[in-house]
Amino acid sequence: MLRALRAYPALLRIGFAAVVAYRAELVVWILTASMPLIMLGVFDRVADAGPVAGLDHAGVAGYFVAVLIVRQLASTWLVWELNQQIRTGALSAALLRPLHPLVWHSAETLATVPLRVVVLAPLLLPIWLWRPELQLALDPASLLVFTASVVLAWGVNFAVHTAFASLAFWLGQSMGLFQVWFGVWVLFSGYAIPLGAMPEWAQLFAEWAPFRAIIGIPADVLSGRVTLAHAPQLLAVQALWLCAFAALGGALWRRGVRRYEGQGA
Amino acid sequence: MSDARRVRPILRALGASWRAAWMTALAYRANFLADAVVTLFAAGATVLPVLFVFHGQETIAGWTASEALLVTGAFVVLQGLVEAAVEPNLRGLVDDIRFGTLDYVLLRPVDPQLLVSFRRLVPQRLVYSVGGFVILGVAASRLPEPPGLWAISAALTLLGVGAAVMYALWLLVVSTAFWFVRVDNLSYLLTSAMDAARWPIDVFRPVFRVLFSVVVPLGLMTTTPALALRGVLEPTSALSGLGVAVVFCAVSRAVWVRALRHYSSASS
Repeated sequence: MLRALRAYPALLRIGFAAVVAYRAELVVWILTASMPLIMLGVFDRVADAGPVAGLDHAGVAGYFVAVLIVRQLASTWLVWELNQQIRTGALSAALLRPLHPLVWHSAETLATVPLRVVVLAPLLLPIWLWRPELQLALDPASLLVFTASVVLAWGVNFAVHTAFASLAFWLGQSMGLFQVWFGVWVLFSGYAIPLGAMPEWAQLFAEWAPFRAIIGIPADVLSGRVTLAHAPQLLAVQALWLCAFAALGGALWRRGVRRYEGQGA
Repeated sequence: MSDARRVRPILRALGASWRAAWMTALAYRANFLADAVVTLFAAGATVLPVLFVFHGQETIAGWTASEALLVTGAFVVLQGLVEAAVEPNLRGLVDDIRFGTLDYVLLRPVDPQLLVSFRRLVPQRLVYSVGGFVILGVAASRLPEPPGLWAISAALTLLGVGAAVMYALWLLVVSTAFWFVRVDNLSYLLTSAMDAARWPIDVFRPVFRVLFSVVVPLGLMTTTPALALRGVLEPTSALSGLGVAVVFCAVSRAVWVRALRHYSSASS
């Protein structure tokens, strides 16, 4: 644990060097997360007939700006990377290192954050110029809650990715399964549709499902739709999902590594 | 006569590789069936976002939910076609350029563009298009005035036109591989931008149409067939759609020809 902490700054530096080296490719990957822009266009029109789920034009713009930000900050490519490493046997070399491969992957993911912010800025600026009245909750208390919420969201996402990627130890390839999760996630996380705008049965499902812990909750916090009194409850929901998926992902990983039969294992 | 002599070999070559693709897919029958069921579910799931967005809304930008589902259905049909016949080929092209194996294609006595574009087929993905037609059928039957034979044939023609534009866009993007080599992720960017074509183009304000400028022709391609089925398509916009398709195909062909000259093969 201590060793991981001491190595972490170096890992971040290595990860960042890789980001700089492959910047053009990464920028394109980052831009593929354009669905909130499309849905902003759709809901901006819907808001013509009056507020949707309490969101007027400025509210819709604020919500999807928050979604774009959260999506970039709480993002990871772990399931793709691990699937490939497991299938090709590249994981063997990673397992030989004195550091846990997941620590290494987490540093790799975090090292992409600066580039993600740089790519986001030119996307968000035109939206802000277009709807200058859009508001984000940027007072210190809300920002503190948002930071906690987005860190938890990243944690849940990373744990979910670990769990799905670990299935590849048994299946050889778990991308198909992850795509199913992703499809449901798009609909019920608040990523494409603000949860309040959905029919009641869908809202009920979304409330009890883990998806909103990754996008919906931090996005609501950042777009100022969560009162400070309500915030602890939402953070607790995220923390619970984090524990659940960390336990599941950890268990699957440990059992999976034991039966890993890649080249060199 | 000379044209016929050039066309027949390529048709025979493509026919042979498509037959082979079908035989491979059907050889694993259980897998094919399971895949088909999952794919149909995925196609059906594309209805959900439309229903959610229309929750509590009578119309959006002049479209009812059923009418908007026509656009979604058209989009799913086109996407299935792209994933079955275009994407596997043009993603493969990027590798062929990188490894120099495009030589084997260029050596053959048929038009390389056609061979490169259509030699691979993933029959499983055609099931997705079938799902799109089911959505189209259900949505059309819920219209106040179900479309007549004339409207249906117009819509099918326009869908074909849309497929041509989709193909031309892909060819344009992939042709850049001759200069930049690694562009496989550009094709993912194209796929994600195309998502805008799920919605009637009227929904987006002019600002957004600029933002999705690449997608605009596509938006038209999914919206015009829907307009035809609703029976409100102006003949002029059908014709302009046709014009756009011709321009796109011509430009992509010109770019392809130029790009091919840039190919530094493995053997020369």
